[in-house]
Amino acid sequence: MDPVLHITGAGVVSAIGCGQEETLDALRKGLAGIAPVQYLQTEERRFPVGEVKATNEELAARFGAAEGLSRTSLLGIVALQEALQQAGLKDIAGVPLIGGTTVGGMDLTERIFPAYSRLHDCGASTDAIADHFGGAPFATTLSTACSSAANAIIFGANLIRSGRADIVAVGGSECLSDFHLHGFGSLMILDEAPCRPFDATRAGLNLGEGAAFLVLESEASMKRRGAQSLGVLSGFGNACDAFHQTASSENGEGAFLAMQKALAMAGLRPQDIGYVNAHGTGTPNNDASESAALRRVFGDSLPPVSSTKAFTGHTTSASGSIEAVFCLLALREGFIPPQLNWQEVDPACILPSAGGEAHLEHVLCNAFGFGGNDSSILLSHA
Amino acid sequence: MRKVYLHSRYELLPGDPEPDWRSVFSVMEARRMGRLLKRAVWTSSEALRQAGIDVPDAVIIGTDFGCIDNSEHFLKAVKGMDDAPLKPTHFMQSTHNTIASLIAIRLGCHGYNATYSHRGRSYESALEDAWMQIALGDIDTALVGWFDELTPLLADSLAAQGIDPKEHALAVVLSSNPEGAREEISF
Repeated sequence: MDPVLHITGAGVVSAIGCGQEETLDALRKGLAGIAPVQYLQTEERRFPVGEVKATNEELAARFGAAEGLSRTSLLGIVALQEALQQAGLKDIAGVPLIGGTTVGGMDLTERIFPAYSRLHDCGASTDAIADHFGGAPFATTLSTACSSAANAIIFGANLIRSGRADIVAVGGSECLSDFHLHGFGSLMILDEAPCRPFDATRAGLNLGEGAAFLVLESEASMKRRGAQSLGVLSGFGNACDAFHQTASSENGEGAFLAMQKALAMAGLRPQDIGYVNAHGTGTPNNDASESAALRRVFGDSLPPVSSTKAFTGHTTSASGSIEAVFCLLALREGFIPPQLNWQEVDPACILPSAGGEAHLEHVLCNAFGFGGNDSSILLSHA
Repeated sequence: MRKVYLHSRYELLPGDPEPDWRSVFSVMEARRMGRLLKRAVWTSSEALRQAGIDVPDAVIIGTDFGCIDNSEHFLKAVKGMDDAPLKPTHFMQSTHNTIASLIAIRLGCHGYNATYSHRGRSYESALEDAWMQIALGDIDTALVGWFDELTPLLADSLAAQGIDPKEHALAVVLSSNPEGAREEISF
């Protein structure tokens, strides 16, 4: 891709930890963050979830956030703070903020309903994150369900490619809500046990929450600021499965096209990819469809694949950027996150990786959403 | 960077008579789809027809609240109000991207697909996205839409907070092709 897009800052928070250090430790040791509901206000207790292990009050106090923010905004603040700090930025005065969320402030809406607040919609949750850091020159919000954060990365990258910005903060944030816990429950795609991506006995996903942001900038901007490159966004693809509002097609057309576009943009061949962080939700439908797409893209040269949703749960709109940070850590530290909870081969699925040390040059990160909103991000060693 | 042109624009205004849905939707479809989705599909096909394009390279939608009527039904059910049942269809159609997804499914469009939701500026972002990608040469054509509906509760709640939200059903087609264009678009 021309110009080269450097990642100079990353921040992440999920059920497996706050910040890159805790996250790396959990990924290395195979420590999952899935547990019975502890923080979410809900009567629906059947399903385990991947919660960030802190109350809103604790998060607000620790990060000096304004009162009354949605958990989506609070988690976003946590992640963006780490990303800005690593990039050497004090605020976002000159940095467009592109967020991704679908739940937004639904956690607050469901408390005041029947009423709505102008502070609870998707855009408001991104603006609240921007406001915490002194306000951004421009902010917008992608809402493509579970690929929202991946598409925020793509929009931000295009701002730089088209010369409209030379530095952007991109990512996504999503908290658990009673609304979408019931929603996924109504679709019968939640597992009452820890999720088992790509396993023959997989029976659904576990919902999770979290946030991650990346600071993305042109080489000129990075050099001018004296920042360090953590990795390069070398390609991306967005395609639509155009099959069903919530189900994925049998041949994984949208996923296939998204991965192909990302490879083509980076000018790489399938055999150049050292690891794929799969969308791998653990639903029978997604994992079979994604496996079909992976087999179509990679044929006989399938690299190690794992879904880290067995660690974090499905962090929905935030998953694209959270898992992009996992990929950055894998590139930097030279390891493949293991597939947790996998035991039994399903002929319809790829065989996921047990993890381990690996020298990685290029990794692919998939994020697929309801509506067939499929995106794939390709990250390369700096 | 390439130039970007507007080829068509079609809008259903809040006071306009409802189109004859039966000419486009089956009875089953019409029943399953909310009013916003029907208006979105209708305006999109009109804009594409006027532009002479069957399937665009991208479908990019802006919506502040998505299918808020569905979200509201589902919220009532979650809160146990009015004995409302938990209907998966309400949840499926509560995500903002259900509009762009439905349009893509009906068009068989596997191209770029995205939805923006940002406080009255959702459509601007959708336009900017389409403009950038055409200018960069990533795509040649894009269907861009702005779709919002109101429920009495949403209208009342926001009015009390000094906001006057509007319904929107607007679709435009952008292209890199200057031939037959209405005007050049710039950002």
